[in-house]
Amino acid sequence: MKLKARKQAGAVIPTASMADIVFLLIIFFVLTFNIEVDKTQVSLPRTVLRYEVPKKAALVSITDSGQIRVSDGESASLPVTGPEDVVSFAAEIIARQPDKEFVLKADNGVAYRYVDRVIDALKQARVEVVYLLSDQETVDGG
Amino acid sequence: MKISKRNIASDIPTASMADIVFLLIIFFMVTNTFAATRGLDFALPKEEKNPPLIEKEESVLIEIRPGGGIVVDGKPMQASAILDYLKPILAVNQLKPVIIRPDQEAAYGDMVKIYDILRAGKDHGVEIRNISIPTQREIDQFWY
Repeated sequence: MKLKARKQAGAVIPTASMADIVFLLIIFFVLTFNIEVDKTQVSLPRTVLRYEVPKKAALVSITDSGQIRVSDGESASLPVTGPEDVVSFAAEIIARQPDKEFVLKADNGVAYRYVDRVIDALKQARVEVVYLLSDQETVDGG
Repeated sequence: MKISKRNIASDIPTASMADIVFLLIIFFMVTNTFAATRGLDFALPKEEKNPPLIEKEESVLIEIRPGGGIVVDGKPMQASAILDYLKPILAVNQLKPVIIRPDQEAAYGDMVKIYDILRAGKDHGVEIRNISIPTQREIDQFWY
């Protein structure tokens, strides 16, 4: 007796929903898209309290060796030679936008004298609010 | 004479859409950064020509030494004990200034740690309304 040939089940991957998933992913990335203006690698201090930093806030970063970089929050950060440059940089921004917030991204272990001079420069430039960038402190202190 | 009308297919070519969309995804994935965007806010006082002079006795002075040691009003203290020390003082005068004065060689992280403790005091029943971190220039110009 001749057996009837078995019907081959089609091995098709269902791709109909792929476009939807991909579009959802695109929407997610577009919404969370955030160009990092400063790529300085620092080890941030940890704090329990952390508040959202305003978008496009100007930024001053200080590495563990005391090197300072500044950014107006829109263009990439540039190195400056010292706190005197921070005064002129911040004063220029404040002249354009008096309520502009600044973010201080300083290394956890940098000597306070570097931070002190930068904060003093921002005070002289009449900056009103500075955000001290930090990582989250966990309950067990880790 | 009958003219036969030819139907022109009105399809939008979507064959390359998946490729374009995947390229977009790859672009956003590569360029996206989940940067640290949180921190502690710190209001800077306005520069005044004649700021009110604060006498040493009128404020609580927290000194931060190199290495992280803390001295409060001349007494060495653990960071965890600061709020307990401040509670009775601020109960008498809630507007009493609390001044953080880090040593120039102290680590920045130690200053942030103390500032965080003082700011979080509100959650532990010790609301500190007047926290000040004077810069070295201000100390040289206006203190005592």
